[in-house]
Amino acid sequence: MTRHHPDSLSLMEYSAGNLSEPHALCIRLHLDKCSHCRHQVDTLDSLGAVMMEQQPKVSVSGAMFDDILARIDSSPELKPQATVQPKTSLLQKLLGEDINNLPWKRQLGDVSVLDITEKFPGQNEQVVLQKLVAGGKAPAHTHRGTETTIVLQGMFSDQKGVFNQWDFVVLNEQDEHKPIALGSDDCITLSVLSAPLKLTGTFTRLLNPFIR
Amino acid sequence: MTTLDQQPARAEGRKDPWSQLLVKVGKSQDRQAYHSLFEHFAPQLKYYAMANGMASHADELVQEVFVSIWRKASLYDWQKAAASTWIFTIARNQRIDMLRKMRRTSVEMAVETEDLWQIPGEDDNQPVTSLHRLMSERRVRESLSQLPEDQITVIAKVYMEQKSHQMVADELNIPLGTVKSRVRLALSKLKVILQDQNV
Repeated sequence: MTRHHPDSLSLMEYSAGNLSEPHALCIRLHLDKCSHCRHQVDTLDSLGAVMMEQQPKVSVSGAMFDDILARIDSSPELKPQATVQPKTSLLQKLLGEDINNLPWKRQLGDVSVLDITEKFPGQNEQVVLQKLVAGGKAPAHTHRGTETTIVLQGMFSDQKGVFNQWDFVVLNEQDEHKPIALGSDDCITLSVLSAPLKLTGTFTRLLNPFIR
Repeated sequence: MTTLDQQPARAEGRKDPWSQLLVKVGKSQDRQAYHSLFEHFAPQLKYYAMANGMASHADELVQEVFVSIWRKASLYDWQKAAASTWIFTIARNQRIDMLRKMRRTSVEMAVETEDLWQIPGEDDNQPVTSLHRLMSERRVRESLSQLPEDQITVIAKVYMEQKSHQMVADELNIPLGTVKSRVRLALSKLKVILQDQNV
């Protein structure tokens, strides 16, 4: 059972569909394992539906419905789906079979990192996996901008508490911490680092504004 | 064209009329029921598309949503969500998907839109979950009318115009903290915030 949750405002932005892909990924991974937050998102989705219902309406042409029927009738792949397709987990899809056997880059002492930003083209954030070996300590550090983290494996502690698998943590410039990996597994986290600067070009591939 | 059923204006009860129609589409590909859903939801969806800056693709979004409704209706379970909520999540996902496709480069997406915005739940089939969902929907509808206008305005901008809390603050020329506190007040009145938690 997770104890550290995303705040309700983030869940609302998730429900509204306003989050960037990396942030949506963090929320989604948490929701997978947290019925508490899932209930909130269910209610927020209802809020979205009721908001939509209470807004003005814009008339649509009757011909559109005929177009839709024509599309349904002409495309065999648009037959109603009978069953849900079995799926590999989202993490497996993103990272492959074993999260421990990724091409980790040893950074400092007990810490390894893997930058997976390229899996999210067109997004303004850096996405990084971090691994702290079981029992290991990370050097004290602060953060630039906002860092949203979800624990994928193992657990760690810092002065704010103990963070278990699927716990959700948001840190900013004010937070200096010194995480220690607890338990017998390496602690692996996924972090999304928001760019502190707003850039003007919409779909420009960004230069990485962070030096880690 | 099929003829139009007479529909009550307001969704009430455990199984509202729209959910009944959606069940018919799922069970027997009932085109008259499908048409009634179109008459009711298409004008809402078109406004939704236009409000969030997709005016030139509004018809396309409405079509995509309705094609999805047809394809997925057999998976719809009225005990888990009202039709309006189910359709809202499809519309949201289709909007995100269309925007992703429009700006897609040659790079293949590692994760699909539905991977990020479709939530499979391990306890989805528990009766308590279903009940919670149905209750929450009625509660939202009933308590939204009691919220002050300034809170509704903020929520509408987040849901209908896809504005972040920061963008809403900039647009209304009020501090970000004020936006957040309005949202928090509204969410606690709507009982979205069920209990104190780590915020």
